[in-house]
Amino acid sequence: MTKTRIQVDHVARIEGHGDIHLEISDGQVQRCEFSVTEAARLFESMVRGRPFDEVPYIASRVCGICSASHTVTDLLAIERIFGVQVSERTRALRQLLVYGSFLQNHSTHLFVFAAPDFLGHKSVFPLAKGDPELFERALGLKALGNELCTMVGGRSIHPITAVVGGFTHEMTSAEYLRMADKLEGMVDFALAAVDLFNGFEVPGFETQGDLLAMVAPDGYPVIGSDTAAFVRSGVRFSAQDIGEFVEEYPVDHSAAFLAVEKEGQRPYFASALARVNASWDQLTEPARFAAAKAGLRPPEFNPFANNVAQAVELVDALTRCAATCRALAGDDFEGTSEPVSFEVCAGVGVGFTEAPRGALFHRLELDANGVVIDASIMTPTSQNIANLEVDMRTLATLLVDEGRSSDEIQLEIEKLVRAYDPCLSCSVH
Amino acid sequence: MDEQKNIPRVVLVGLASCFGCQINITNVEAHLMEVLGQVDMRYWQLTSSEPMPDAFDVAVVEGAVTTEDAAETLRRVREKARAVITIGACAATAGIPGMAAAAYEGRAAQVYGSAVPAIIDDIACRPRPVSDVIAVDYEVPCCPIDPYDFVRVLQKALYGANPYERTSTLCGECKRNERGCFYGRGIMCLGLVTRQGCGARCPDLGRPCNGCGGVSVDANVEGARRVAQRSGIDPARFDKALEMFNQVPREVQR
Repeated sequence: MTKTRIQVDHVARIEGHGDIHLEISDGQVQRCEFSVTEAARLFESMVRGRPFDEVPYIASRVCGICSASHTVTDLLAIERIFGVQVSERTRALRQLLVYGSFLQNHSTHLFVFAAPDFLGHKSVFPLAKGDPELFERALGLKALGNELCTMVGGRSIHPITAVVGGFTHEMTSAEYLRMADKLEGMVDFALAAVDLFNGFEVPGFETQGDLLAMVAPDGYPVIGSDTAAFVRSGVRFSAQDIGEFVEEYPVDHSAAFLAVEKEGQRPYFASALARVNASWDQLTEPARFAAAKAGLRPPEFNPFANNVAQAVELVDALTRCAATCRALAGDDFEGTSEPVSFEVCAGVGVGFTEAPRGALFHRLELDANGVVIDASIMTPTSQNIANLEVDMRTLATLLVDEGRSSDEIQLEIEKLVRAYDPCLSCSVH
Repeated sequence: MDEQKNIPRVVLVGLASCFGCQINITNVEAHLMEVLGQVDMRYWQLTSSEPMPDAFDVAVVEGAVTTEDAAETLRRVREKARAVITIGACAATAGIPGMAAAAYEGRAAQVYGSAVPAIIDDIACRPRPVSDVIAVDYEVPCCPIDPYDFVRVLQKALYGANPYERTSTLCGECKRNERGCFYGRGIMCLGLVTRQGCGARCPDLGRPCNGCGGVSVDANVEGARRVAQRSGIDPARFDKALEMFNQVPREVQR
């Protein structure tokens, strides 16, 4: 009997701490776990008893990459409870903030975390030396995402200006136009990134699970809709009813909850890939063309295609945000972004956004003084782990059947984990 | 020091945090390679799959201590490092994770219900700042750190400059921005007692200070409570807000 044990303690180049346990005996994958060892900070417990206005500020600290998403998601939950209607301008600014984090997340994930695998490196530093131009432009794109977050939110991580009802500060028209120029100036590089990642060879297999993304009648939605859709089953639901459609459950080997679609108990993948599948027609024209050129069109269920999907979203975000900045510089949006007034009241609300890594849900219950009674955060990564484990098993079986060495299997499994772009500090929170 | 090149060897360790401070270091794009050119980054798990080395000079630590494993890692790091730098509020004051320190027992059950995963039950402990476990030489405060502040402190650690930082409160910095005071509008702001150093960035953008720099040793907290009360703010609310970054009492604070 031959037995192979693949154990990766602390997978590198992902956000947070996680281990891979894989046991193969006699050509059969026996054990396949992705163990999230990230420390539990217990956010849902720590916000209990806190006043509502602290909650987005605290929840932002769930994650240093998608802090803008956690902030906006909590703002949406609170505003739903209080019945706050924000201006179109505020909505546009929030979208810019979230897209800023898309730009920084996707460029970091693609170039710093994922690309070294495909180029045969252990870190980004050889890439920086070997192809300084590519590296410099990748960093430039990430810097631009940071700059967008900073211009809108006050800093690149943990936004300052986004509060319940609006923004405490806004950039000038001249700054919007400059931002638009810079965003447009990066489109060519993002298009090249689609080609680059499309050129990397990946194993040919399909995820077994479903895909989940926000959907809307128009636009490529990241904050503007309350409707979520499973791509494969076609089931749609209101984010307010998330508990009826998604089941979270704890397991001993993970500090993060896992999740499945409730009725069919099927795991799923919330991601850029899910969004591109759900809203391909609504990508901006350059992004849709780039996707088509790369052969990325629905239905696409290879989880490795998430890398290409993120690159396509870079093109989409750059072109979309440039247009929004130009509109904000003019008078296309009625009203101001100054926080609107509101009455505090008791209630329950779910905030729903598309974070860079996928669908993000925050459920808040407030008392009549606006103090938190109960909170629940469901991040894309915690929703994805169950599906990742199934995919790891499928891929490992495939590679064992091909007679690949355990070193090769380990590398391919790590690449798969990184293609999911997991954020483990998010997943555990 | 590296015998051959004489370049200081630096490791970066991440504990319980949002990783934002490490990410912020990668955000000094223009300076990143220059800084890395001055130091030999022996271990940076966020960006590389290389294992942690046995020998190094400077350790940079992000995050609060929330597991026994983390405490053990810190002790090992302290034995080897010539200087330890903490980055961010989590490492300095236990920060946001420190909020869970009050009534810590029972919090895991609030989140996970009766089925707290074994992986947490086995290793978790009450959140603490890094300085509760090992001696810290330099500190980059705030949530998140200002990456240029990190570059400045790293230089100090590399070249052995004075580790002491200014301890006055944020109010002085804020006044120089000439934005007026929130208390005049009946709005609570923790800049009265929070350690300076950020340039009063939040008040400058129209948002009151939330105290991420930690309470200054120079702060007159009792006086601040009276100021709050005069502006119609319940001192109990002031104390509650202070818990966000100061839940864990600090024995030593520069």
